Amino acid sequence: MHIDYWGAVKHSTAGRLGTGLLLAVLAAGAAAPLWPHAPEAFSQAVLQPPSATHWLGTNDVGQDVAAQLLHGARRSLAVAVAAGCLTTVLSFLIGAAAALGGRLADTALMRLTDAMLAIPTVVLVIVLAAYVPLRFTGLVLVLAFTGWATGARVVRARTLTLKNRAHVLAARTFGASRRYLLLRHILPDIAPVVLVAFIQTAQRAVLLEAGLAFLGVGDPDAPSWGMMLHQALGFYYTPAWSWWLLPPGIALAVTLFSFLLLGSALEPLLDPRLRRDEHA
Amino acid sequence: MRGRWLSYPVALILILAFSFALPRLMPGDPLQAIYGGEMLTEMSPEAYAELERRYGLDRPLAEQILVYLERLAQGDLGRSYYFGCPVPEVIGGALPWTLLLAGSAFVLSSLLAIWLGIESGWRRNGTTGHGLLWLIGLVNGFPDFFLGILFLLLFGVLLNWFPLAGAMTPYAGYTGWALALDVARHLALPLAVLTLTNLTAVFLLTRGSMVTVLGERFVLTARAKGLRDRVVRYRHAGRAALSPVTARLGVRFGQLFTGAVFVEVVFSYPGIGGLLHNALTMRDYPLLQGLFLLITVSVLAANALADCILVRVDPRAGHAH
Repeated sequence: MHIDYWGAVKHSTAGRLGTGLLLAVLAAGAAAPLWPHAPEAFSQAVLQPPSATHWLGTNDVGQDVAAQLLHGARRSLAVAVAAGCLTTVLSFLIGAAAALGGRLADTALMRLTDAMLAIPTVVLVIVLAAYVPLRFTGLVLVLAFTGWATGARVVRARTLTLKNRAHVLAARTFGASRRYLLLRHILPDIAPVVLVAFIQTAQRAVLLEAGLAFLGVGDPDAPSWGMMLHQALGFYYTPAWSWWLLPPGIALAVTLFSFLLLGSALEPLLDPRLRRDEHA
Repeated sequence: MRGRWLSYPVALILILAFSFALPRLMPGDPLQAIYGGEMLTEMSPEAYAELERRYGLDRPLAEQILVYLERLAQGDLGRSYYFGCPVPEVIGGALPWTLLLAGSAFVLSSLLAIWLGIESGWRRNGTTGHGLLWLIGLVNGFPDFFLGILFLLLFGVLLNWFPLAGAMTPYAGYTGWALALDVARHLALPLAVLTLTNLTAVFLLTRGSMVTVLGERFVLTARAKGLRDRVVRYRHAGRAALSPVTARLGVRFGQLFTGAVFVEVVFSYPGIGGLLHNALTMRDYPLLQGLFLLITVSVLAANALADCILVRVDPRAGHAH
């Protein structure tokens, strides 16, 4: 089964724009170590407007805003990729286990999934972060264990319809193991669903990481966009808002928007009827 | 498909278990999480032992759970050590503001989203429809707190049209209409932000379902009867397109509550979100735990209620997975 991912992205405006924006954020993250200023280095030049040495000026303790912005891109993307991967793996395993594991497993896992969907997990993560300081690994784990439910539901539904298709039935009658079925027949067919689930959870991870830092319960040692917004909000009545408060917010919005665009560009792949035939 | 109702007790158990585990997750003494560091150091050993006994911390875990549930059943959520009064009292003072903000945002965003969704679905191939889709997608990309910051800067700081913080002018002594106007002026910006950020889900849902419905035969019939465009759009197609929107009511309530938390922080609004932020900054653990219980349980209740409504409105939903 051939699914033309790149074609779907390339042939839609949303896909091209989303890829471009995401590449820009990636480039910013990659350039961070090359920047002449360190994000945590203090200086005497406090609340300086943009200049030749500090392209985006400095904050209230003289740190270079541009350096923080670039390192913030690294932080956001790292959390997005790590949490996105782990959450998607969880979703896939739980969804597939529910669909293939028999009635009891299905009922138990689906009740758990529904329960997770009914709980406002954002509040849960915020409150948890106040009790236990969440560093990178902790944050990724918490995001994954609170975010798998939506994906698991979709994976289960897709796997159920695939389970009784002719090619899967044929493989089963030849005595294929569950693992073989899952990896060779189910996964390739539901790959678009898994990919879209990855993009959505990555987006959620970026938003929540920034939200936690914005509320002041993020990792205090990692420069992040949310933390910049948190600190800069205290100075919104000074001219500093234009170089200190706006850039991290715009960077965050651009990143989220690029995920959104990529997700909607891949949407046609979810519905086989909308898939573009390669020889058509 | 009656088993679906089982997910609510499961969710409630998860929430209670989490709330019980929270103070015990913290490195160190759970009493510190319940009462805060400063208070413990000032306490005599006798008072400390008394507290330990009261929370059942000297007993095995199973009994601790029972003690916890018993205290919860009595409505005892502990005392906020920042405000120095019982947690339910503190929360009760903030709740009306959030209900005002989130409630009006709920009504406003629903009406606006349904209207725009129907219009955009109707003109799905025109420039207006596409433009709306992009515009709302763009708004959706903004985190609610950043949109709040933008509104604060633009309408509060630069244009100076609206007040920057709070829910009313303190010590102004307004009464009657003047008071209502003052409250409305403070509400305007947070309400606008919360309405805009909550537009997307319902808009996309209405639009999508409108596009599907427009292909149905009864729409063709209505048109063939020579009914006016507006009647077909709203009374025939629009009404049929609303069923999936009802299905999302509960989920939206949860999003609205958490959205309100961030928006309230930006505008220093004295509701639940402002209180949560305060509790986070002050590490007021009893208040934090109380707020967690209040928010999660009310969102859960809203979800259950929305499920009930949906089954009444659309009997098919009771059988769906």
